Amino acid sequence: MANIDDFIRPKEWVSDFVTDIGKVLREWGKDKYMPVRQQIDEDWRDHKLVKPLLKEVLVDLGINAAFFPAEVGGTDIPETCTLVCILAEEGGRIDSGFTVAVLCSLWPMLPIILKPHRNMELLQDIGPKFCGETLYVGCNAMTEPSSGADIENMDRMRGKTIQTTAKLIGDEWVINGHKIWPTNSGDVANLYGVVCTTKKGSTDLNDFAFIYVPADAPGVSMGGPYQKAGMAADMNTDIWFEDVHVPKSYRAHGPGDDLKYFTEMITYGNMASAAMCLGVMKNIYEIIKRWTTERIIAGKPLKEHSMVAAALSEIAISIEATSAWIHMYCREVDHPEIYGTDPWSNKMAHKSRGLAIFASQAVEKVCSTAMDYMGSYGYSREFDVEKHWRDSKMIGLWMGGLGLKHLENARYWYELETL
Amino acid sequence: MALYPSQEWCDKWKDALNNDPAVAESGKNWGVGFKGSLVFEVSPGSGLEKTHYIFLDAKEGKCLESKMMDDAVSLDPGFYVTGSYGDFKLVVKGEKDFIEMVVRGALKLKGDMGKIMRNAKFVRAVANSISSFPNEYLGE
Repeated sequence: MANIDDFIRPKEWVSDFVTDIGKVLREWGKDKYMPVRQQIDEDWRDHKLVKPLLKEVLVDLGINAAFFPAEVGGTDIPETCTLVCILAEEGGRIDSGFTVAVLCSLWPMLPIILKPHRNMELLQDIGPKFCGETLYVGCNAMTEPSSGADIENMDRMRGKTIQTTAKLIGDEWVINGHKIWPTNSGDVANLYGVVCTTKKGSTDLNDFAFIYVPADAPGVSMGGPYQKAGMAADMNTDIWFEDVHVPKSYRAHGPGDDLKYFTEMITYGNMASAAMCLGVMKNIYEIIKRWTTERIIAGKPLKEHSMVAAALSEIAISIEATSAWIHMYCREVDHPEIYGTDPWSNKMAHKSRGLAIFASQAVEKVCSTAMDYMGSYGYSREFDVEKHWRDSKMIGLWMGGLGLKHLENARYWYELETL
Repeated sequence: MALYPSQEWCDKWKDALNNDPAVAESGKNWGVGFKGSLVFEVSPGSGLEKTHYIFLDAKEGKCLESKMMDDAVSLDPGFYVTGSYGDFKLVVKGEKDFIEMVVRGALKLKGDMGKIMRNAKFVRAVANSISSFPNEYLGE
């Protein structure tokens, strides 16, 4: 009997070990998260349920330490993109909001932990905190009130609209600015990766700076959590930086390289977004398969009606296509020696925008189709489809939404010159 | 220098593990409430003529036993690692990382992956210890 493990996953590229790590998260989710999944929406403001669960995954299951170098207490697992996507997929099946909180702890660390551009000096300071026994969470602070996704639109905006400034005074960066929407903001994160400019209004890409700021640094303040349609396990607030001082060494790399490895973060963001959509679709597959098998209409299971079967087929096709595409791009990111594509290249960032669009549109359609055939039951909390439907919509909206994603994808494939 | 694989090599590995503070510190919970033993099944090739089995037992940050076995029939380890002599040799020499080889599928690790993930630092320390002393190899 076919199940979620029968969808495409190239065994030549994804070892049993990596698949098994994913299954550990799956089992953890079954035991610890699924029993409270329907209560998470009410936990959006306080995260009384979410925070201990975050600790279990990031600390006890070792996800926080997975990619840090062994020298600072990490596990140093290679094939990073593949493992990130397996974790995103398994996590998305449980709760995409929780999964984005988990993965965004590591997201801003990527510029300094990925090979071959590790910043060991900074990692000696920051790494042990992430790899320790207590919960230590990262947060990627990039979006701003006045310019939104312009910050990720570096090809055209070239950092011109970034309002958060970093000024080097002596041996310290002084940060001033205002960020909105970062995952793990509020009182969740301990360390922010902050997109700044060293010269307001500049279009010189060397003025783009990515600087780490401890959440408890004097001058850091935050607003209250946003109440959203879904993604309750992902806490988002405003963050203000007022004359915040951090050591000079807290800049990820330096002029030019900060943007280069920020671009790699965008690629990983696209990949993980697609994988979360895949996980959601797999859970929808489980739910709708069971529903249409057990629900008897006109004397036979719902799935035995031809119109329903066609819709179920469409769901399976969406999962197969998304999974195949994800693993193909994971291979490309993890093996630049084969494909000749640097993981931090605009090419990879722009191409993976296409995957992110495809997956986010597929998951919307899959959730909606499942709801169509479950009727009002699909719209009720009891069956979890409506939760996935509310949560996964956000995956298509973040990181620039449909507009920027399409523009960047078209920029690569069609060499756009004016957009 | 010890020949890999041999009982002399197993003894040296045990000494290396028990003299490594990282193993002692990170392994405090290893083997507590579960079997912390591992069998390494080394298949022939690259100079090795028949399959060899290395049994390693560890608990609470200490290596209790490290020995060559004729077969794995009588063993019921917590974890089982399989791979070719050629691939194991790369790890023992320090040319490849154990965890990297497992992630890439060259070496297969079976057992409770939850225990592996919860004790990843210990696994990392054990992996680092494998190549921490000089050896001789078959077929070279």
